[in-house]
Amino acid sequence: MTRESRKRLFWVCFVCSLVVVGLIPVFTQSEYLLRLASLVILWIGMAGCWNITSGYTGYIDFGPVVYFGIGSYATAIAMAKYGSPFFPAVALSGIVAAVISAPIGLTTLRLRGAYFAIATFAFAETMRQVALEFDRTLGVSFFEGSHGITLPMPDHENTFFFYCIFVVTVAVVLVHYSIEHSKFGFGLKAIHEAEDAAEIAGVNTTGIKLRAYVTSAFFLGMLGGIEAYWITYITPADVFSVHRTVQMVIMTLLGGMGTFLGPVVGASFLTIVSEILGTTFVEYYLIMVGAIIICIILIMPKGIIGTIKDWKGLRFI
Amino acid sequence: MDTIFLQAVINGLLLGGVYAAYSAGFSLIFGVMGVVNLAHGELIMLGAFTSYWMFQIWHMDPYLTAPFSAAFLFVFGYFIQRYIINRVIELPHIMSYILTFGIHLIVANVAVKLWTHDFRTITTSYSGANAALMGLNIPYARLATFFLALFVIALLWFFLARTETGRAIRATAMDKEVARLMGVDIRKIYAITFGLGAGVTGLAGAAISPFVIIFPEMGLEYTIVAFCVVVLGGMGYMPGALWGGFILGVAQSMAATYLSAGISVATTFLILFFMLVFRPTGIVGKGSVA
Repeated sequence: MTRESRKRLFWVCFVCSLVVVGLIPVFTQSEYLLRLASLVILWIGMAGCWNITSGYTGYIDFGPVVYFGIGSYATAIAMAKYGSPFFPAVALSGIVAAVISAPIGLTTLRLRGAYFAIATFAFAETMRQVALEFDRTLGVSFFEGSHGITLPMPDHENTFFFYCIFVVTVAVVLVHYSIEHSKFGFGLKAIHEAEDAAEIAGVNTTGIKLRAYVTSAFFLGMLGGIEAYWITYITPADVFSVHRTVQMVIMTLLGGMGTFLGPVVGASFLTIVSEILGTTFVEYYLIMVGAIIICIILIMPKGIIGTIKDWKGLRFI
Repeated sequence: MDTIFLQAVINGLLLGGVYAAYSAGFSLIFGVMGVVNLAHGELIMLGAFTSYWMFQIWHMDPYLTAPFSAAFLFVFGYFIQRYIINRVIELPHIMSYILTFGIHLIVANVAVKLWTHDFRTITTSYSGANAALMGLNIPYARLATFFLALFVIALLWFFLARTETGRAIRATAMDKEVARLMGVDIRKIYAITFGLGAGVTGLAGAAISPFVIIFPEMGLEYTIVAFCVVVLGGMGYMPGALWGGFILGVAQSMAATYLSAGISVATTFLILFFMLVFRPTGIVGKGSVA
């Protein structure tokens, strides 16, 4: 296949799958299935955000959840305290997350390896503690501490949230596509392969890393805002939970880090497996997740997509 | 210098000793293999549970059970490294983080199955007893653990500096390829290192068992503190665990005394964050930078 025809095939597949997924709410009557589908695409979006920063560059971000949490709080505060409508609040979430991520990225992205991972992790935990303790320490009523914030009850159906999440996730996937086919993306991959060499070759490594970091923070913020309104109740322990970070990492890893389809495959697989295991074997669920993680790492460290690529010499897109 | 201030400093130092005790193993494992062991807290949990059951069944004093905890965890750590972590040691480090997270999930949740979610404590004759000294209170148990921590770190340092195996471990940490050429069986050294780190941690778990709440999910919190301590002191630099522990302990105790108990945790992470950004080699500058 030539490059052109491959590209055409990709777009055909892409649009077809969008239509199929986008029509789920039309065909299903079951609210449960709809919520499950929303959850799957929410996780695809979140894992995708992690993949943008960490998957392509190899900088392991252990605190992406912080921008999800910031987004949730931005929407919650804007809606519950200032009576803002939903869409401006979500846009605000994305912007707040992006604005906060810029100085954080600028300082932490100078660190490498485990140090970057720990610094981002520390930042996420700090923000969780700040959200928990801010009010009590200063005697104000803003983050509401461990009580959490209750958002106004939405008068929308699940379908509405499905499409909100769907739009953001599609945007994330499109960002992946542009990464695969742009100078920006080559820069990110060069950082992964050999950062010093890339720098010598004239790649603005810090700028590129920062761009990826801020982009993923922006989308995570929006997803956080949407989920906050969907669930209508947020607490610091929930939206800043380290388990969300771990989920993002594991899903991407399972699918294949730094690949276009990795987060999509990994998040779909793991969310559905968790749903099945979580309802059938409630008591052994976390043990099984642990075992699955270990098996993936030992058997196919490149993830599902990476392994298929190696195995058949197949190239996606 | 009022009594409250002094008391805060003493509490901080005692707490710091405890922190140092259970972070030394983390530092050792990272320094030699570059593995950030996210299952570290589970090693502490297992150590504490070993003491708990020996206390319950044979009424042994928790401090006397420490060698048994250490031995059990050494064997546990040795096999984990030998049969699981060694398989990914040549891959990018991210794999080992995630692998150890998987181990964390399994160990913590199997422990929940075995021992339920109950909170447990070990109540000994000296629990809650204090030495009163010029208006200051010094809890006996914490003081004992403090000295035990110093002793353990000294022992570990001695082992690394003065024995043949210790020399092999240090050589592997410096340059594993050259160590291999010199005839060091690195995989075995890795297994021994992890066992050693786990053993020390299990001992620390036994040593803190008289005054902490023991439950299967206690681990993650301890892993996080160990992170902070080790970064503050310098990754892979053994006496750094003491420095880091003391700084963190005093800072937390000050924040808890003068601000609020909740904010002291945020202080920890702020210190950690700025430390990483401005001085990643640790407070005395002897840690390794990846």
